[in-house]
Amino acid sequence: MDWTAIRLLYVSELRAALRERSVLINGILIPLLMYPLMMWVMFSGILFVTARFESFASRVEIAGLPAEHRGLLERLGEDEGRIEIAEVEAPTARAAAAYREEVENRLLGGELDAALIFESTADPPGNAEVSLLSNGSSDQSQAARGRLEGALSAERSAWLDRIAEQHGLDGAEWQVFDVRSNNLATGRQMGQFLMGMMIPLFFVLMIANGCVYPAIDSTAGERERNTWETTSTLATRRIHVVTAKYLYVATMGLVAGALNAAAMVVSFRSFLGPLLARLGGGGGSGFAFELPLTSLPILFLTAVLLGALIAAAMMILAAFARTFKEGQSMVTPVILLVIFPVVVLNDPSMEFTPALAGIPVVNVVLLLRQAIAGNVLWLQLGITVLANGAAIAACLWLASRILRVEEIATGSFEGNLFQFLRQHWRPAGGKA
Amino acid sequence: MSTFQVEVQGLSKNFFDPSRGEVRAVQEVNFECRSSEIFGLLGANGAGKTTTLRMISTVLQPTAGTARVLGHDVASDPVEVRRNLGFYSASTALYPRLTARETLTLFARVNKYPAERTRSRVEEMIERFGLGDYAGARIEKLSSGMKQKVSIARTVVHDPPVLIFDEPTVGLDVLNALDLQKAIQELREDGKAILFSTHIMSEAERLCDRIAIIDKGRIRACDDLEGLRAATSQHYLEDIFVHYVTGNDTTG
Repeated sequence: MDWTAIRLLYVSELRAALRERSVLINGILIPLLMYPLMMWVMFSGILFVTARFESFASRVEIAGLPAEHRGLLERLGEDEGRIEIAEVEAPTARAAAAYREEVENRLLGGELDAALIFESTADPPGNAEVSLLSNGSSDQSQAARGRLEGALSAERSAWLDRIAEQHGLDGAEWQVFDVRSNNLATGRQMGQFLMGMMIPLFFVLMIANGCVYPAIDSTAGERERNTWETTSTLATRRIHVVTAKYLYVATMGLVAGALNAAAMVVSFRSFLGPLLARLGGGGGSGFAFELPLTSLPILFLTAVLLGALIAAAMMILAAFARTFKEGQSMVTPVILLVIFPVVVLNDPSMEFTPALAGIPVVNVVLLLRQAIAGNVLWLQLGITVLANGAAIAACLWLASRILRVEEIATGSFEGNLFQFLRQHWRPAGGKA
Repeated sequence: MSTFQVEVQGLSKNFFDPSRGEVRAVQEVNFECRSSEIFGLLGANGAGKTTTLRMISTVLQPTAGTARVLGHDVASDPVEVRRNLGFYSASTALYPRLTARETLTLFARVNKYPAERTRSRVEEMIERFGLGDYAGARIEKLSSGMKQKVSIARTVVHDPPVLIFDEPTVGLDVLNALDLQKAIQELREDGKAILFSTHIMSEAERLCDRIAIIDKGRIRACDDLEGLRAATSQHYLEDIFVHYVTGNDTTG
């Protein structure tokens, strides 16, 4: 191999690519900035909505509140004046239906956010059927409902405790059994679980996205710019030219994947962690988004394997394109092909078996998920490297066979990979 | 060792065209070219000039026959052929996102010009072709005239003994075309063996030491201008060309 020529061509491809806006945007800026921006927007949006909810006062009407539950008004009053309460007498039995209809109309018309209607039933005193009316199509009404439910539930518990006490029972006895949930996972484990769900998916997507433009640019782009023949006259073997181009495409995919993974970890720590903590996610442990150090070499390895595989697959298809537009339509299926198994198999309970380690792309995703969780399964790792290595070798072998065909090398072949395979690998009697 | 820099013997090229079937683009072409000579291939569009030159430059593989550049066979030793060759044509554009200096350095290095002398050689080319003010500019930013100068410079930067110019003046304005012709003449004076294809009679008449008239993939005649005149009793190259291509005497 003429490594000097390969290095010169590779550096030249990279240098030219980094001066192209589309490569910079797709290969560097999007993977680097997309998640921080996306999460910043999400964080800001949720904070904005929360603040908006917290700022307005809910207009609530309470009808027929029994004397035993006057404590409810105190509870609602504790909500820092965010509830404006109008208390009315209980309607008579004859007027109850008309009153309810009137309240419903006011709720639907936006004059009222929620209403509580108490209908006393039987002993003990204070026992009642309570209707909580709200308008599900209104944000304000839903917020009012939430505030009332909280206070109502607390009032109910307190009242039941009082009744139990009157009967000589304590809370634990009359509740029969008490459920106390306890999340044993640490914040770090919770964070790794969430990252394991999200990072592999976007990692594959970004590597594929990072390869698309370079793969088309270095094949169909060359034909469109009339530089393919110029390259063909260089004093080096064609396989060296193709190797340099392939390494360039794989590098761009690898860079996009690595930048994207780094950006995601930073985004999770800076935006998603605080946001989930604010929203009370992760149980008592909260979320801590930290990648174990042992996962970094695996992350790099998976980026190399995926970049190399996707670049090879895309270059095989793009080799048939004569224009950039043709290249785009030929390469797009590769993105779908690599994303499909990742989406379908994105089940956190899926075990990374040696059999699954033999399936390219799927194995890389599962390996990455395990690495993020801090596990390294050496047998599966070995099978993954071998399986992807074999797939890459097969793609490169096919690419070298394809590029030996003069019509394809010169861009005069009119067709795609499947037409080529039909023409050149027909059974005995066909053109070989 | 042959005295010819380029030797072409029985060179043929067949294509398969889905609509026309087997197309014989070039048929048993023979010629030679020596140092300090401009050898012209004169023919109409589609006559087989570009296919012939593409086979010599190893872009295409011959169906039959041989072509040698400094004794290196185009089929068995294509890398050595390309190392000793500079190929310029309308379809060999420059890389738009590289600068002129980067382009020249890349071509010198990949074409095996000694690494330690590459920098001085590139600067020499920049000086010779008047690229000094634009050497650091990207090719895509240059005017067509400047691009053409960079193209010639990249063709000769590795100092190949053989140069191929395939219809180099197509699409150029008169002044740029004259500049290019002057550059080609200077390269002949430097001792280069030059293969030059054109369909423009005046260009062939002005530049070429010997001319091969090619039609339908075959060479109909090959000689210097005086020889062609003597063989056809025609004075003007245009009439000589018509004589060989149509078999008609245009002077009546």
